[in-house]
Amino acid sequence: MAKHRGRGFATIEYPTGMNQNGDPSQAWIKLKPDGRVDVFSGTVDIGQGSKTVHTQIVADALGVPFDWVTMDNTNTDSSAVCTGTFASRGTFIGGNAVRLAAERVRERILDIASKELEIDQSDLEIENGDVIARGAPQKKINIADVAGAATYNYGELISGSSTALKPFADVDDETGQVETEPHSAISYAACVAEVEVDDETGEVVVDKLVQVYDVGRAINPTLVEGQIEGGAMMGLGLGLLESSYPMYPSLEHRGGEFGSYLPPSLQDLPELDNVILENPSADGPFGAKAIGEMANNAQPPAIVDAIHDAVGVWVTEMPATPERVLAALAEKRQPRREGKRVIFDEHLSVRTVSENAGEGFLSTDA
Amino acid sequence: MKAVGARLPRYDGVGHVTGRTTYVDDVRVGRTLWVKALRSPHHHAAITRLDTSKAETVKGVHAIVTHADVPKNVYGHLEALGVPADEPLLADGEVRYKGQPIAAVAAESEQAALEAVAAIEIEYEERPALVDIRKALDPAAPQIHQWGNVYPHYGPYNHRRVRKGDVEAAFERADAIVEGVYRPQAIEQMPMETQVALAVPEASGRLTIYSCTQAMYFSMGVVAAHLQVPLNKLKFVGGTVGGGFGGKVDTAADTVCALLALKSRRPVKWRWTREEEFLASSTRAPWHIEIADAVTSDGWILGRRMLTLHDSGAYSRFSPYGVTKHAFHHSGAYTIPNLHFDGFVVYTNRVPTTAMRGFGVTSVSFAVETHMSRVADVLGLDPWEVRLKNANRIGDTSGNGVTLKDPSTVPVTLAAAERVGVELGAEFRQMTAEPRTGALLPEHLVAQQNLNLEED
Repeated sequence: MAKHRGRGFATIEYPTGMNQNGDPSQAWIKLKPDGRVDVFSGTVDIGQGSKTVHTQIVADALGVPFDWVTMDNTNTDSSAVCTGTFASRGTFIGGNAVRLAAERVRERILDIASKELEIDQSDLEIENGDVIARGAPQKKINIADVAGAATYNYGELISGSSTALKPFADVDDETGQVETEPHSAISYAACVAEVEVDDETGEVVVDKLVQVYDVGRAINPTLVEGQIEGGAMMGLGLGLLESSYPMYPSLEHRGGEFGSYLPPSLQDLPELDNVILENPSADGPFGAKAIGEMANNAQPPAIVDAIHDAVGVWVTEMPATPERVLAALAEKRQPRREGKRVIFDEHLSVRTVSENAGEGFLSTDA
Repeated sequence: MKAVGARLPRYDGVGHVTGRTTYVDDVRVGRTLWVKALRSPHHHAAITRLDTSKAETVKGVHAIVTHADVPKNVYGHLEALGVPADEPLLADGEVRYKGQPIAAVAAESEQAALEAVAAIEIEYEERPALVDIRKALDPAAPQIHQWGNVYPHYGPYNHRRVRKGDVEAAFERADAIVEGVYRPQAIEQMPMETQVALAVPEASGRLTIYSCTQAMYFSMGVVAAHLQVPLNKLKFVGGTVGGGFGGKVDTAADTVCALLALKSRRPVKWRWTREEEFLASSTRAPWHIEIADAVTSDGWILGRRMLTLHDSGAYSRFSPYGVTKHAFHHSGAYTIPNLHFDGFVVYTNRVPTTAMRGFGVTSVSFAVETHMSRVADVLGLDPWEVRLKNANRIGDTSGNGVTLKDPSTVPVTLAAAERVGVELGAEFRQMTAEPRTGALLPEHLVAQQNLNLEED
């Protein structure tokens, strides 16, 4: 009886935006008379930080300090359509909506500044809240004064709105092929898990996760790391601990309280080594792709691979509980070999479990 | 300072960690009534009698709703995308999962509402339950859904298909065929904030709904459809959620509150208990995935056959969407030119499954990656090198026919290898995402390569 160390890994990809597209996000922005910026978008912040990320995108798209920007996502009367916070679409699609709206506001600011400064728009740029003449930085006007002039002299509300939308991509029901991209971008990640497996108790402890994410561009690296680390813990729950139906497929023994359902807690937190790569997306705001959902996808297979490396068994019914690890060690199942076929897990297959050898599921081209 | 790329503090972080953020349950409106629901105690049963008249006389009760009070009781979350509706808001004549709502009461207190729920007279005729998706098409399987036990509306098919290349030839040519079965489980989204809603009838005749939805316009559309009212009759207030993880894409409490608020003409709040959140709210789906890969002895994957069964629970919700997304990613981060995939949405008598972080893909990533490790192990090859060889490269074509413009399988894999000190051969260390050439462009990957990247 002993503890065995193992290392495993996985490489994954994940799409941004609703599958097959057709999921708009809209935003509109107005300036107060002192140039401060009110952003109205319908993106729900479920804790991932979209309000923060969108504020950063607007600040840079306009050229104003971050703390000039106020975000209102509180209701459907003031906000336009956002399809929703899912499909890892908040930064990319919601972010593009506020970026495009900000670009329209920027055009209005430059138009009015141009009149005030008597300098052609194309010779102006915006930096840290000032509209500045290119090459002549002493010629400038603060956006506060531009917005004041717009409101009180020109009788204009400086505002802009936009929609980020990729049209619906049809899929051929016979072949599953598409004519146009059914996503906005694809993000990639790799995860290495280092585990210790106790062959007496079946317990698996994840000591370390090394995780590499290509997010296109990290709009806010702290929030990206928050997703990576929070996702790691959810992935650990998927890999080792959690199950709504502990005796699946039986409906019995469901846990109806925290005391009888086992999510990971701080004591399960492994050492985390996070690496952010930036391979920019052509279409995302400032090159961003996404990070949200994929962050719990790579750990379960990396952990299962590490268990195999440690003790030589594959656990493919999840989660890899001590009971399942012990059962795999006791059974020492070997794949059946038939000609060049190497057949694992035959006891789990539809062919074996159903009464009709999987007919109906396996004969789709008949 | 540029904001993009800066480690700026979370916009709403101070409020969250000091308890000053207002969540739905923090909103207090005078004269609010409280909701409790009658839920099915059975996994599958006919409802042979339902009588709320005694419950209506319980002291403090202001309104009770059943299926008969819902203008459009059956509405599909994905009707707009062509997925027909199958799920009643409140059960009508039949229950298909334990915990399914049948009636809801609004009363002066949660206690009074519970007393009224207990006073609702109901009788059931239990039916056998289907629990194992692998047995759903057995001759003797209980029939549990009006469409049969699998979703039948993928165009003319009862499954989502991928047919690409010549799979027969790939399996013929292969040196080995490696087969495995993968069964990722259901888990709970488990937000700290349970499902909750507050509906307030305004003097203007509008209805304000304080919602914990992850998608305000989506949920507003769902409520408007059930109530058969235009969108300007409703105002959704939300945008701040105490944890979602996908479970709050379902519109769980909003519609019932809206109905009870209209019927009682009082503000109505429904906050699910932790037990309801665990047992009656949706979960991540369990999946069953069978993979057979046709491989060469030097580690090329020539072709893949995959069968996926998705445990949808009692109704469709987002499952047909999830299986299509799953299908689109069933070759993982790799380029496999010959594919044969069938994915079924299978109904069972469990709580309907729904979106959760990684929806449709968490399952396939687990199956594909564990299978990749097994393939390398069976062939006696380095698992890093097998992945790098087959990795998506610029100009490669994905399983659904998309030319890849910026894949990062190679950079993320190499970065991870370097971080943990894995020794790779020189030809692997020097790999990039750039288009395949030379030894990494074997015969079976020539035709799929598309270097006209501008034409997409």
